[in-house]
Amino acid sequence: MKPGNLKPGEVQYEFRHAIGGFFEFPTENARKLLPPHLHPVEPHHGQSVLSVMAFDFTGSSTGPYGELVLSVHVAPRIEAGRPMARAAFYPFLVGTTTRTSRESAIKLWHLPHFMHDIDIAFTTTDHDITVAAAHGGKPILDMRITDYQWEDVEHHYQAFTHDATGSYMASMQMNARFSENEEERGSIEIHAHDFTAGLDRDGVNTTPFRELWMRDGLQTFQPLETLTPGAR
Amino acid sequence: MGPESVLTKKAEEATGTPATEVPSNNEYDYSNFYYSSSDDLFAIFGPYDDWWYGSARNNGYYLFSQPMSTRPGPQIELEEQLNHKALQLLNLASYNYLGLSYHPEVIAAAKAALDHYGLGAAGSPILSGTMDLHLTLEKELAAFKKKEAVMVFPTGYSTNVGLLSALLRPGDWAIMDQNVHASIVDGVIMSKANARFFRHNKPEDLEKKLKGTSGKRLVILEGVYSMDGDTAHLPELVAIAKKAGARVMIDEAHSTFVYGKEGRGVAEHFGLEDQIDIHVGTFSKALGGQGGFVAGSQGLYNYLMGFARSRVFSCALAPAVTAGVLAALRVAQREPELRTNLWKNVAHFRGLMDAAGVDVAESTSQIIPIMIRNDRKILGIARKLQQAGLYLQPIIYPAVAKHRSRFRVSISSTHTTDQLNRAAGILVDTLRAEGVIEA
Repeated sequence: MKPGNLKPGEVQYEFRHAIGGFFEFPTENARKLLPPHLHPVEPHHGQSVLSVMAFDFTGSSTGPYGELVLSVHVAPRIEAGRPMARAAFYPFLVGTTTRTSRESAIKLWHLPHFMHDIDIAFTTTDHDITVAAAHGGKPILDMRITDYQWEDVEHHYQAFTHDATGSYMASMQMNARFSENEEERGSIEIHAHDFTAGLDRDGVNTTPFRELWMRDGLQTFQPLETLTPGAR
Repeated sequence: MGPESVLTKKAEEATGTPATEVPSNNEYDYSNFYYSSSDDLFAIFGPYDDWWYGSARNNGYYLFSQPMSTRPGPQIELEEQLNHKALQLLNLASYNYLGLSYHPEVIAAAKAALDHYGLGAAGSPILSGTMDLHLTLEKELAAFKKKEAVMVFPTGYSTNVGLLSALLRPGDWAIMDQNVHASIVDGVIMSKANARFFRHNKPEDLEKKLKGTSGKRLVILEGVYSMDGDTAHLPELVAIAKKAGARVMIDEAHSTFVYGKEGRGVAEHFGLEDQIDIHVGTFSKALGGQGGFVAGSQGLYNYLMGFARSRVFSCALAPAVTAGVLAALRVAQREPELRTNLWKNVAHFRGLMDAAGVDVAESTSQIIPIMIRNDRKILGIARKLQQAGLYLQPIIYPAVAKHRSRFRVSISSTHTTDQLNRAAGILVDTLRAEGVIEA
């Protein structure tokens, strides 16, 4: 994908790989991570969705960098006249490999960050990709994602953020080669680390019920929206 | 402007806002419309209709809920919902595993009860709705299941909801196979008990999910799982539950009257009936009727009588249905050859599928999933099957996992070999033409 013409206020990132695993984990844990105005999506009663996403960005306003995002799936906003989001997330912790990318994301999107550079390494074979994230010589997590059928897609997603200044929503469009499956062939190992301290690690399923892999794509953010108090 | 556009236009006029931008492909499904962000309960209707009329219906969702105008036998007539044409189809979609819904004795019993008792029971089972027929059915079922008591419920759904919401309390634990039926999940939700799901048929995961639980615990399994047609790994799962001191419940909706030497189900098949504390079954599958039952101890029966709200606050099962089910129960016990013929048909059809290289996953039962594993193609294939004369229901996400789309074949003892051969021929030819299996 080639960077496109941006509308005023839009921000674009280019990536080589964007991978994600969706894991069931206890809603009790999810609610502790969410602000009160957001509600977790439950694929099973009492089970919410932990999304672990890793990005290998090749182009951005701060240059190439790697990013690890831990999110809880939440109900998307459906509004007439706007594209329907495929899913919505509440990122509760983001880690990046560079200070400048971190500062930019905090300023632009109010994303909560782990305030140290982390190490992110991707290893690919023909049909799977593994991400290993670490910090200070200690592993954070290792996740393996497998592929299925590939197709070109344009997906719309929403990310909700919340800090002392207010509540926000970022709408984004992902254009990439895309593979998705629920074959339960992937895996994750979450290590004891400050980065993962918010998770009840024993409660997180070690097999993703859904695996996503995007290649050679673009992530385009629309201008951040401020949500009014009480908005859902 | 077609009817869909008119509807969208009407929605726009009503709300004063443009329609939601929904892609014209099958990118979205029911799961995208579960939540709405508005404070108006009805705000979701517009976007939902935009998706339904603008994309989903014409792309294949019309294949669901098509009205049948005949009995659910091997050959049916239904009205196709896109062009409203009557179609004569071979039927591999109904649950009528023993063909009892239209057995002459069953129909005669139901007619006689209708003449004698009238249409409805006209009351809750705990008030005026209990009739002698209900008690006879409960008594004969208890004898069949070799249990102290059986309680009859108006539907299979209300059986699980009533049972679980009656037994479990906040603080108790329900540990369930992830593939259990929605009625079990809803019963647990209604009870406000803690819920955990273990990975389908994985004893080691059940053991893991039992750890850290204490107090009253109920492990919930099914005999045959309705989407995959596989049976519970009962010996291993029951052993783990018993070792942990948990009670065990099995829902044999699809396996009662089908599995076991006497037809009592998968628990009988494995010789574990006495290890399982609560047995659930339905009348709407092998018996071809309606309703459900709980079999267990007299103490369980007594307690449910007072606390199973879905039964207490429903009208009792209609007398005609009760009489028909009672007759079907007697026929099923008297004629084990119905079960023998069902298994002969299952083996025959499975042999045809195996010979053609059709993927039927882990099924070992009369429910045979025909795995397509392509969410985009399956509705188109379903349309072609119907045009070729075969009635099969497509099963797609979110009813099953993404890319686990399949057709669910239900074999009946009343299918003839010729009907099964013709149905398999249509299926295999269509799957070959669509590139699902090799030519």
